Amino acid sequence: MEQGSRQELPPPAPFYRSIFSEIEEVGWEHLVRSEEDLSSLSFRILDKNGRAHILEIALPRNYPESAPSIAADVPYICDIEWSKSSKLKNIVQQFREHLQKLQEFWSIMEDIDRNLWILDPKQPSLATSYRQICLGNDCSLLLNVYARNAWSLPECRFFGPDSTVNLLRNNWRKNSRKWTKDKHFHENLAILLETTLPRPHTVSNKNDEQVDCGICYAQYLPVDDEFGDNSGSAPDYTCENLSCSRAFHTVCLRDWLRSITTTRQSFDVLFGNCPYCSEPVAVKVSKCS
Amino acid sequence: MTSSSAASRKALSKIACNRLQKELVEWEVNPPTGFKHKVTDNLQRWIIEVVGAPGTLYESEKYQLQVDFPEHYPMEAPQVIFLHPAPLHPHIYSNGHICLDILYDSWSPAMTVSSVCISILSMLSSSTAKQRPADNDRYVKNCRNGRSPKETRWWFHDDKV
Repeated sequence: MEQGSRQELPPPAPFYRSIFSEIEEVGWEHLVRSEEDLSSLSFRILDKNGRAHILEIALPRNYPESAPSIAADVPYICDIEWSKSSKLKNIVQQFREHLQKLQEFWSIMEDIDRNLWILDPKQPSLATSYRQICLGNDCSLLLNVYARNAWSLPECRFFGPDSTVNLLRNNWRKNSRKWTKDKHFHENLAILLETTLPRPHTVSNKNDEQVDCGICYAQYLPVDDEFGDNSGSAPDYTCENLSCSRAFHTVCLRDWLRSITTTRQSFDVLFGNCPYCSEPVAVKVSKCS
Repeated sequence: MTSSSAASRKALSKIACNRLQKELVEWEVNPPTGFKHKVTDNLQRWIIEVVGAPGTLYESEKYQLQVDFPEHYPMEAPQVIFLHPAPLHPHIYSNGHICLDILYDSWSPAMTVSSVCISILSMLSSSTAKQRPADNDRYVKNCRNGRSPKETRWWFHDDKV
């Protein structure tokens, strides 16, 4: 890469001095990262419940004339009130107040994560306000908690076989008035749905690294006679193109290759292309089907 | 309308059902810009509203896509048509059928409803004239019995529009 010849001049020394003293006011122990030209500073802030947050502050060239902008791993960010006499510590203070407002939201998310079986996201960030929850019987629920009003009735979408989903949705509508701040979130959920909810699914960490099949999007094939020995199996084929490396169930890849006309068969091997990168792939025709 | 062919379709397989649920969750969390999935209880038929992109011939115009999934989705492409009225476009017939290779021969299970929608919007966006395909009347007449666009033998003559 060629470097541009017109590099911007570094800011003058007084700029550094004033920023340094403002960092001092916040406390150096909180500073975790900074750009060389001080265009961006990151502070680690603990909230009242001990959760660590990284607050990234971007300083404009004409700081403190114009307000800095901030970013953090939160469901929504606060508006910064800024005047020419404002300092970094004022931003940190405003951010702390914002964190305080979000405590209820995070304790609800924690309650969900601790008591319910989460299908997605596998590793939620503090900004994520949705959870997909396993309800048993092939049903799941996509919940969205309103971060601004965490105790209000969450937004829900049900997935699964029609009959079960209809029943759950009816219960939800019928009982929605029973939602109360006096109970834990997961208890409310169980009351509204009139069902017991599966507890968190404890799987070993090894399974977390397992990836979903690029065709059926599932980690495990359904347990069904149709799949014979492959019932419930994990992806067992990986595209050999290293920049692709997509994982598939051999069964899924074979079904796909069989369904298109460009696939060639030689003895008991099907030759085709990876649906993602189009590099050649080859799978054996199964003996049983 | 092609509802006659849809009615005779078989229910989704377990794999199709599972994959569509995941696609729907992903859509809910991260919908493609310019599209809105109309919430229904039907996993096998999605009605999607699309708004023409700013700065294009179709700016702010609203259309509806009907996406029907076959029993063995994603091994087979979904059937995607515009509901009446279909946008005036050189590759969109007045009965809503869309001449777009990825919906037929070039489908792959690596694609998703979301990626198909983005392709359709980009096809709309790159149009320079609001007109029907040259063979519109003949084609639509041939489809009168409610034939699915997936049964058409398509010629994908140009990829400019």
